[in-house]
Amino acid sequence: MKKFVALVGTNTVKSTNRKLLQYMKKRYADDAEIEVVELKGLPIFKKTKEVFIPQQARDIAEKIDAADGVIIGTPEYDHSIPALLSSALAWLSYGIHPLMDKPVMIVGTSYGTLGASRAQAQLRQILDSPELKATVLPSSEFLLGHSLQAFDENGDLKSATESQKLDGLFDDFLEFIDLTEQLDNSKKLHEQQAASFTWDNGTTGDDE
Amino acid sequence: MVKLVGIAGSIGEQSYNRMLLEFIRDHFKKTVDVEILDINDVPVFNEDEDHNDNPVVHELARKIAGANGVILATPEHNHTVPAAMKNVIEWLSNNVHPLDGKAVWIVGASYHTQGSSRAQLHLKQILESPGVNAYVMPGNEFLLSNAKEAFAADGSLKDARTVGFLEIVMKKFLTFMKVIEMLDAPDPKSAHEEDMDSKHPVNTTVPDVDMTDPEWVEKAAEKMHAASGGDYVKLDRGLLTVDQLNYFLNSMAGELTFADDNNQFIYYNKTADAAHMLAPRTPDQVGDPLSAVHPDRVIEHVKQVLYALRTGESDVVSMPAQTGPNQHVMHYYRAMRDENRRYRGVNELVIDIMPILKYYLAATGQKLVKDPDAVPMSPITGLDAVTGASAHSDPTKTDATSGASGSKSVEKPAEKPATDATSGASESGNEATVAPAAAEPIDTDALTGASEEPATGYSATEDDAPAKQPAPTPEPESTDTDATTGASES
Repeated sequence: MKKFVALVGTNTVKSTNRKLLQYMKKRYADDAEIEVVELKGLPIFKKTKEVFIPQQARDIAEKIDAADGVIIGTPEYDHSIPALLSSALAWLSYGIHPLMDKPVMIVGTSYGTLGASRAQAQLRQILDSPELKATVLPSSEFLLGHSLQAFDENGDLKSATESQKLDGLFDDFLEFIDLTEQLDNSKKLHEQQAASFTWDNGTTGDDE
Repeated sequence: MVKLVGIAGSIGEQSYNRMLLEFIRDHFKKTVDVEILDINDVPVFNEDEDHNDNPVVHELARKIAGANGVILATPEHNHTVPAAMKNVIEWLSNNVHPLDGKAVWIVGASYHTQGSSRAQLHLKQILESPGVNAYVMPGNEFLLSNAKEAFAADGSLKDARTVGFLEIVMKKFLTFMKVIEMLDAPDPKSAHEEDMDSKHPVNTTVPDVDMTDPEWVEKAAEKMHAASGGDYVKLDRGLLTVDQLNYFLNSMAGELTFADDNNQFIYYNKTADAAHMLAPRTPDQVGDPLSAVHPDRVIEHVKQVLYALRTGESDVVSMPAQTGPNQHVMHYYRAMRDENRRYRGVNELVIDIMPILKYYLAATGQKLVKDPDAVPMSPITGLDAVTGASAHSDPTKTDATSGASGSKSVEKPAEKPATDATSGASESGNEATVAPAAAEPIDTDALTGASEEPATGYSATEDDAPAKQPAPTPEPESTDTDATTGASES
């Protein structure tokens, strides 16, 4: 059975993204082992001479290393992903590269209609950056709008249309993982880049 | 001087973006005051927490709110804005919104050739989201690439062309800020369109506090983290604490009222209790829309005054309120404008000019006599369109321009007809005669409507019967209680 790490993109207790990930964990329990992982507690990313990485980030990186894929649930703050998630991704590409060539599925919820569409688009761009280079499931937006009303008291999605769509995407994701196994040409290149990685040599897109 | 705040988007020991901001600060220090804000200690945003719990966020919000514009210097992390910068913006778009309507200039420095192009694009997108609602200056991307080689040892930019470009963009940003500051200016097309309910917030309007709340002042002050007590306020020209400002304003010789360009009554100098004021105001009224402090029947008149000032048709409108042998209370409504000439509200001065007149007569050994040649005039000046008091062919008719310059020359002998809005006050004193009431009455006190009765009689001669007194306005028992008149009469 495949193993997944599901990152909750926000720290709020009332997160409907957490609800969605917990729903997926329950719904796909027969096909996959999904561990819902919190980012709450991670400090804002900051570079130091010692290249210090917080233990919480190292723990998450280990979990991702051991998983077949990662699911990220993101809300949208100011038309983009939360700083907390952005910070987590920076930690997870600071001298360590757990997400490199790791299959990633993005889901998002929002209280309004749009379902975090802009945040998801930015997240794809971010995951594609040279220091992350995750392998994101293409053509797979799952945007759950009006998320406060979307779940019943058991934590299940009320809308059959939405749950069917999610089922289809998750099945695709399972197959996508097998497919990406075969993409090992660029993988070697990415590993080489990662080996020569520094935050100062100008290859990372960073400034300082 | 134009005040800007700059935020470097990354935290950590060394940042070329901070260096870039420091260079901008130092290079333009003669024309622009740039303060660089520190975001190192901003906690991780959590929508469950109130920003009020955090003094660092407080202070950032306060400084941004007080600035004319913001410069954001962003590096690029993982093809996006650093989490540290995004984190700050999240705090500033949740319970407080200091970036709302603010002009923002994005710059970026980076190691490599891309500058921080993707991060700048993301930042624009973020800043334009409804919760932030900033105005990002379009075009003029300033991407400093190869930052490691760009700075000299003293922190200056080595390349003269880069500095030249920066100067051009700064100049554009200064203009952009002016334009942005005009954007929220209410723009009624006629006096009738003046919004007396104050429903067109301007950039100084305190959001989310009920204007009619009797404790509006306290609540709005808390919301805006207002300076108080011993806090210093830098003024043009001087430096006072809030306490000193209060001593100063509360000891003014007249009653002052401030209604902003959203027609919200936001201040009066509390010289006395309402019962002892010429135009009574009460503390609970402050914050009210002007519609809430005026009876319906005077609203249209008030709108005409406001519109004349807002549009620049007049810089001063004056009208008498309580008049009689011992009292001649005048209301002066002056337009307040910012450095871009944008109307920012009305300054109302209520003052009894009779003690001044009596002093003048006593000091110069003169007395008032009727002028047989007096031409009837409206007691109201500065509202030509309304009262028709001065014919349009009248060459001395006040227009906005001459009115503005005239205010500097109130002491010159008044030979002009008393229709000159700005010098009317001094003319009465100089001529020692006042024309009889002529034009139609206008309800007085455009700002608060405290005086509800029209000022019908208009006479300053000792023999005339007292004019009809406005009912709700208690007149001081006698001018003898007035320390100033007392002195001149003895």
